[in-house]
Amino acid sequence: MKKHAITLTVNGEEHDLVVPSNRTLLDALRDDLGYTDTKYGCGTGECGACTVLVDGTTSLNGCLTLAATMDGRSITTAAGLARDGNLHPVQESFIRHDAVQCGFCTPGMVLKTISLLAENPTPSEAEIRHGLEGNICRCTGYSKIVEAVQDAGSRMQGTGE
Amino acid sequence: MGEFEVVGKKVERVDVRAKVTGGALYAADVQMAGMLYGKIVRCYDYAHAKVTGLDLTEAAKCKGVIRVLGPDDVTRKEYNASVLDMMVSTDMRGVLGDIDDQNIFTDHVKHYGDAIAAIIATSEEAAERAAEKVRVSYEELPVYLTAEASKQPDALQFRPEKPGNLAFQLPEMAFPDNCYAWGDVDKSFEDADIIVEDTFYVPKQKQCQMEPGSYIALYDDQGRLNCWTSTQMPKLVQKKLANLFELPMTRVKINQTVIGGGFGARLGMVLEPETCALAMAVPGRPVKLLSTREEDWVTSPSRHPGKYWMRMGFKKDGTPVACDARFENYKGAYYVDASGTAFTTGAWLGGMYKFDSLRYHGESYYTNQSICGAFRGYGNPQTNFVMEQLIDRGCAELGVDPIEWRKKWHKTVGDDGWCMGVPYNSCALDECLDRAAEAIGWAEKREKYKHQTGTVRRGIGVAVMNHTSGAMPMLLEHTVCDVLLHQDATATLNLACSDMGQGSHTTLRQVAAETLGFPYEDIHIATGNSDAAGFDIGAHASRTLYVGGGAVKQACEDARRQLFERAALELEESVDNLYMEDKIIHVKGASNKSISVETITDQGVNNFMNPETGERIGQPGQIQGYASFFPPHNAPPFGTTIAEVEVDTETGEVRVLELVNAHDVGKAIHPGVVEGQLDGGAQQGLGMVLTEETYYDDKGICQNNSFTDYKMFGPSDMPKMTNILVENADPTGPFGAKGVGEAGLVPPVGATANAIFNAIGIQILEAPITPEKVLRAIEEKGDII
Repeated sequence: MKKHAITLTVNGEEHDLVVPSNRTLLDALRDDLGYTDTKYGCGTGECGACTVLVDGTTSLNGCLTLAATMDGRSITTAAGLARDGNLHPVQESFIRHDAVQCGFCTPGMVLKTISLLAENPTPSEAEIRHGLEGNICRCTGYSKIVEAVQDAGSRMQGTGE
Repeated sequence: MGEFEVVGKKVERVDVRAKVTGGALYAADVQMAGMLYGKIVRCYDYAHAKVTGLDLTEAAKCKGVIRVLGPDDVTRKEYNASVLDMMVSTDMRGVLGDIDDQNIFTDHVKHYGDAIAAIIATSEEAAERAAEKVRVSYEELPVYLTAEASKQPDALQFRPEKPGNLAFQLPEMAFPDNCYAWGDVDKSFEDADIIVEDTFYVPKQKQCQMEPGSYIALYDDQGRLNCWTSTQMPKLVQKKLANLFELPMTRVKINQTVIGGGFGARLGMVLEPETCALAMAVPGRPVKLLSTREEDWVTSPSRHPGKYWMRMGFKKDGTPVACDARFENYKGAYYVDASGTAFTTGAWLGGMYKFDSLRYHGESYYTNQSICGAFRGYGNPQTNFVMEQLIDRGCAELGVDPIEWRKKWHKTVGDDGWCMGVPYNSCALDECLDRAAEAIGWAEKREKYKHQTGTVRRGIGVAVMNHTSGAMPMLLEHTVCDVLLHQDATATLNLACSDMGQGSHTTLRQVAAETLGFPYEDIHIATGNSDAAGFDIGAHASRTLYVGGGAVKQACEDARRQLFERAALELEESVDNLYMEDKIIHVKGASNKSISVETITDQGVNNFMNPETGERIGQPGQIQGYASFFPPHNAPPFGTTIAEVEVDTETGEVRVLELVNAHDVGKAIHPGVVEGQLDGGAQQGLGMVLTEETYYDDKGICQNNSFTDYKMFGPSDMPKMTNILVENADPTGPFGAKGVGEAGLVPPVGATANAIFNAIGIQILEAPITPEKVLRAIEEKGDII
């Protein structure tokens, strides 16, 4: 299989790696680079556990993205959200609202929320629910996640996050 | 309330920072030097077949392959992946008739995805490539997907010791006439003015925990078998693996990794035997085995589906005189815990209402579906779907309000609970019903929805449930806990209780802090190491806070007693005359006489002797509290859900508009954790009643083992939801707490079905209640209401 030499910037750190054409971004992150905070939940783009941010705040599923197409791009995972020892306001909001149970969907859910709030800083409850449709959580019934997203949105207003 | 410092507070969960940053290590995240990768070769062509040929030679030649393993390359000892046999006494095992009928690799495929062989290779890709080169030939056998099919006299027999493919029925020795019963049901029915009866179907629901099965095993240079797994039951799986591989328990170590959801799917062994067998074939090398989602679906247990017949009789005044029921579940390919759910499904039935007499038959039949085991509620959601619909049918015929009838006839304090002879010791179900009815506007809506026209109809329905906190006295509930006080007056709890994400490590830490009188921040909870922790029966039956919390409380009381005894010696006072505030022990009424906890704990380790004189200047020894705790009861929680739905009679679509859940939780140690359990339970209960079922085609090939084809409630599907926590302290629970892990799933099932009944006047007998079934039922009846 053809191999591709690519450069990926992950959480601000640059990595050169060689990947075969069929290597997913999820596998490259987890197995080649050790970013195990990006989770495998289904491998078919249904659950969103592998959500990452690309070049800022665009979210995509790592399992549906070929690593070779990401050459030169900048990826953010949950491990890369803290600034100066402070968690991202969305992470803090998930903590405050008990929006985390088993935690397996949480990194993807947090990243999806950041993407959602970047597109729509003042979403309605219905817009939040619609925006999270691609991310499955089996523990929380979504109630506290929706609360956390709403609260994070209002707190981030005007902070430039 | 003000009576507690830590209990009842929404403290920050112990695991939450690691989870929002992705730092929490689940089994798949663990990497080790020299790691090898396993891939199980499974049969996806047939659900029932004999393996007539297995050729591993081409696979063995593939690049990166270290070993190929067939059935004879691993232990052929049969096992039972369930841990139920570790939860009862040895005698009881015999009474139940539990058997070992699983092989690591099989030459007789009994379900879609059964394991045939395995590859060990240097990478996952290499193992997968080699697995594709394995050649297997089969002789197809008849497929039995239901109990009705497999019990036919000419059906092939799954196991010679289980004739008629009847894996389990209630054993005669403990249950005369093989039924769970009181009174004379046949005679009681003669007193009935109204009889309601039907046969229902309950679906094969899947837990769908977000973390697929992931395991690592290493047979190390000390001859120890190490297994990294997110099992719910570390100590029982340790013993199970020790038995299977014939090793002493000292040579089997479970390293419990962060659990990415369980809901029963990890109650027992899943792929630990396979992973360990692979590791034993390559001593010194860690072997990682990762399930795909599709694979996890068909190799881990599901809820028990099956036919559930029930008949109830009432007198004109509403008195419930008799209930007769039979649940024949489609057990799946292997025995696993055939005995457990078959019994408890009836136990929950028996625990709910004051019928003059009851008779319940529970039977498990082998089928060529994937295995069934524990799933949150453990038989209770099945009973809720059936029992609560029939109660509402009875209420409709009697012309009584379903809430009023339930308040009058539900069992309560002093009545026999789900286990006969163990009466309820607390029950606040009436308050739950009153507050839920008030919150949703029950009376007004019930009245309003009597008079509807048009194609879209609304309805409102109620259901109640009783559950349990641990399975005493059926199972040997037991947790060992020790608490070590460090020199600086902080404390480490050491125990094997699992946190599946429900927050139990947080609530156990709260119980410890409250009991010791220490701040929450001063407690660390150490778990996950089967070498260090004493026995714990594992996370099941909503028992971790109730039983594990009881153990923590007792161990902390022991440590606190020792602290006070030392303080008494130092202060030359009696223990009774001391009290603690802010970690300083004072003498009552003598403000100048006190000693800090830290002085005592530091003396015990570092400063008990004058280095110059050798004279003792303090009390030596590190304080450790210990408990080997057996709960006195099973503190059953009660709860209710009222659901409001909208039914489109042209499309058959059901939309859930609102749920109000009111639960008698004893005491909410952490209200956020309790609400989270009710929220998440409701999502799963709504799925069971409306959308979720694993389907097979007539050859037994699974049709929807993926999130694409199996419909769970998503964020936009969830209704408006209100949780009401009714705190009525249980006399036996730690600080009054009862279990809440499973309760939230149960009553949304019956309440939603009853809301549909209220909307269209038709009861749908098969779950999930899909639009097709609603339309068919309307068509058959020819009319709505």
